[in-house]
Amino acid sequence: MLRTLIPISFFVFQLGSIIYARFVPTRYFCWAPYDTQTDYTASATVNGKKLTAAEFRRRYRRPARGFDNRSPQHLFDMLEQAEQKRFDLGDRATIVVKYRVNGKEPREWRWPHPDLHGIR
Amino acid sequence: MALASSRPSWNPLKFRDPELPTELLILVKVLALVVLLVNHVRILPDPWLPFVPGIDRLPPVLFQRTLQTVFVISALAILFNRRVRLASLVLGATMLLGVVSSKAYYGNNKTFCGLMFFLTGLYAPGRKPWPVQWQLGITYFGAGLNKLLDADWHSGVFFQNWAVHRLHQPWYIALDSVLPPMLLARLMCWGTIVTELAVVPAIFIQSLNYWAVCANILFQSGLLLFTGTTFTLFFYSMTAASLAFVSWPKERITVLYNAGVVDRIAKVLRFCDADGRFHWIPYSEPTGDWLHLTTGDRAYTNFRALRMIVLLNPLTYLAIAALIAVVPEFSAAAYRRTVVALCLFFLMPPLASLADWLLGRRQAAAVQSRSLTA
Repeated sequence: MLRTLIPISFFVFQLGSIIYARFVPTRYFCWAPYDTQTDYTASATVNGKKLTAAEFRRRYRRPARGFDNRSPQHLFDMLEQAEQKRFDLGDRATIVVKYRVNGKEPREWRWPHPDLHGIR
Repeated sequence: MALASSRPSWNPLKFRDPELPTELLILVKVLALVVLLVNHVRILPDPWLPFVPGIDRLPPVLFQRTLQTVFVISALAILFNRRVRLASLVLGATMLLGVVSSKAYYGNNKTFCGLMFFLTGLYAPGRKPWPVQWQLGITYFGAGLNKLLDADWHSGVFFQNWAVHRLHQPWYIALDSVLPPMLLARLMCWGTIVTELAVVPAIFIQSLNYWAVCANILFQSGLLLFTGTTFTLFFYSMTAASLAFVSWPKERITVLYNAGVVDRIAKVLRFCDADGRFHWIPYSEPTGDWLHLTTGDRAYTNFRALRMIVLLNPLTYLAIAALIAVVPEFSAAAYRRTVVALCLFFLMPPLASLADWLLGRRQAAAVQSRSLTA
């Protein structure tokens, strides 16, 4: 019984994720490998000090400059959630990511979000 | 004559297990060998921005070391034929736990590989491995649908940027320069979308499974040939999933051979047959064929028989996976491309059929010339 129920529940979850991905920018657990190419350059300043490339990698587990082969929102999620966790520890960070999706026009993402009045 | 069912052997080159059929045993042993050879254990994560809340409250070093220890023990257990089904379940669970515990580790390739282990671990003896088959179908469905609904895939923008600016793919750039702008990019994008979505019904309709396996192997091999990369574990896991659609012969396979013609080849093939799957019998009297193999209701002769002997030997898949995974430091992409191209060339159906056809023509011509001389 479990040998049937467990796979079925996995598949229902995945189908749900595939449908959910139609309404959000992220692509978690919905099988969208290598569907988007994002090249980016990020810089972060924490408590007034600009992070070096090595410090950036240690803090966010991503290189400060590189490529990502999934939705760019996955990268932003990691940066944003890492800072949300450290906010309680007293860190105040600003992050700027300059990026291009599939080689198109340059865009910019910032943390804290310019229109966000919560965490600063 | 059925294969002798002895206790599981410690010999990693043997493929016998009381709980898993040969095809699933090959699937998990190939993937276990790969994860060990590419040293995947080094990137297993500590909890960091987990998908499941609370995992990051666990002691990170203890969590990571436990994951790594269980991972290596389970992979070794699979290779050495120790409680393979249970070890697959545990190894799959370890990888899936890694995926949900860290956004830095999360990846489609790791998720799919973990699912291959886990779903094989849930196999119920005597039944079809439908969860593994369905997983492949859902993966292709998700991948195809996402591309179908993406404007950059409609216009070819994705592929143009990827092939030219990211991969610097020389064949693509050369061909693109002589074709109308974006034509090649659109063809590649739409070719991918159509292939991925067309594979889905072929996976779920049993009579089309043969085509699903062919399409899956050719598509994944095409990706590797184009990019030179395995996309971490994706190439291995996706191609290995094809094994869930085939049934290995349960009986020993009788091979009739002409000792005068293929004695040395027969000796090598017998040496590589660690499980004793083939029963070699020399022809008692000369016939037109130098090799003859029957499995189920199908018979193969000469080069086609030779191809089937290689394909029905589980060691073939272990050897191919090891060859691709153990990449030399220099020119890794060229090396992988060469290995995969050679495997496709020698093991896909056309070469053996063509060789038999040519040999048949030569023999017919020789017989005709002898009768004319007489």
